Amino acid sequence: MSWIKYTGQPVVKEATAIVGSPGLRSIGKIAVDYLVEELRPKLVAELYSPHFPILYGTKPSYAPHPDFLGQAGIKLEKGHVELIKIDFYSLASPPLLITKGYHADFKGQYEVAERVLDLYQEFGVKRMIVLAGYGTKGKDVCCAATDLELLEELMKYGISTEYEGPFYGFSGLVFGLGMLRGIRGISLFGRTQPNVVDPEYPDPKAAKALLERLSSLLNLTIDLSKLDD
Amino acid sequence: MRSRLYKEPQLKDPYMITGLPGIGYIAKLSVEYLIKELKAELFGELYSSSFPSYVLIRKDGTVELLKNEFYYWKDDKSKNDLILFTGNTQAISSEGQYEVANEVLNRAEKFKVEKLFALAAYVIDKPVKKPKVYGAVTEQELLEELKKYKVSPMNVGSITGTNGLLFGLAKLRDIQSICLLSETPGYRTSSGHFLADVRSAQSLLEVLSKMLDIEIDMRPLEKEAKVAEEFIRKMEELERQQAEMMHKAVTPPPKDIYT
Repeated sequence: MSWIKYTGQPVVKEATAIVGSPGLRSIGKIAVDYLVEELRPKLVAELYSPHFPILYGTKPSYAPHPDFLGQAGIKLEKGHVELIKIDFYSLASPPLLITKGYHADFKGQYEVAERVLDLYQEFGVKRMIVLAGYGTKGKDVCCAATDLELLEELMKYGISTEYEGPFYGFSGLVFGLGMLRGIRGISLFGRTQPNVVDPEYPDPKAAKALLERLSSLLNLTIDLSKLDD
Repeated sequence: MRSRLYKEPQLKDPYMITGLPGIGYIAKLSVEYLIKELKAELFGELYSSSFPSYVLIRKDGTVELLKNEFYYWKDDKSKNDLILFTGNTQAISSEGQYEVANEVLNRAEKFKVEKLFALAAYVIDKPVKKPKVYGAVTEQELLEELKKYKVSPMNVGSITGTNGLLFGLAKLRDIQSICLLSETPGYRTSSGHFLADVRSAQSLLEVLSKMLDIEIDMRPLEKEAKVAEEFIRKMEELERQQAEMMHKAVTPPPKDIYT
């Protein structure tokens, strides 16, 4: 069973959850990592799980299989030991709860997503924006949503639906299961070229395009130039 | 596992028909066709943590979870109402397949299901014009029913996944059950995905509708079968051309260029 360690109180209620995880070309992960680095939100909770592998049994990590669960373990960074976790950060303006996601093994995928949604409900989250990548033909950024009304709103910003198909892993499940709980949400997909050898090989350019769109939706001013390096 | 119940229908001596996606999508196609033609009504959904870990983005941009669904059909003229069970996925771990099958059978017991028809695929080596339907039963007396509808008994073999477990676990619970399996070569794309074998589902539905004593219009399915066959033919032609090109690409150059 997964568990949560609270590290503080959210600075605002009814925030919009921003979700990203290491999916296709790591676009979602790059985007949320960048937001945390630039906006300096407050860490308010950490989710730990015995289902977070340090070594995945499948490649890519977001396509788990019941026969290949991988191995649990810890990581060392600058001499400090760390368990694998999902971090939740709170920002007052705009009111956001930024979630740095992680893919669980097959046995934990749904449970972890449900636990994340428990926390969202506890923190009063009403909406979510999921950041991810897509690898088919289309515009630089496209979208999906829990309902048609939200898709119409996005059309006003020039963001249309381009992608049809599966949305794998942590972010996809939080998005879909959130809908079951009445949390309305949109997903923004940055277009990328899939890398067959390493599906999670980072594509910062696609993440930048995604963050440009997000910034205009949220009226955020962020310097995205570091993603050009 | 999570389930949602929209309605608790009052059903008269119901039969249950089950078919989840598997080889050739035959079972799923057949149940879905019945749902469409009979205009059956959705009354429950089931979500399992053993389903694959993804959601689906539909063509219109909205999100859909992987799920299994229960439909019902009532008709004054019919002796038996129907419960139809299908979905856009099936659990992929053995544990999850048992869990889902048991949950479905819990519902079957609750509704006092008289007989369960589990649909599945019968894999053969090559395509046939008219796929044959095989049957297996949980009780000897049901063999007569197979004979009556000219269904060949399947005496040896295995039925994998939830479609098979529903049939096997029904026997453990003393729920009368017939498993109908339709022949298919199990067409796959080069990436390993199954293609829908509509012709096989058509054969299955012809037998099933007689067994259930219901009339369904098979003409739309005939059209679909023709489209699917044409698609498979084109795909096979494309794969053949690709294989030829690959062969040409690895053919060594003629010897005389070295001389």
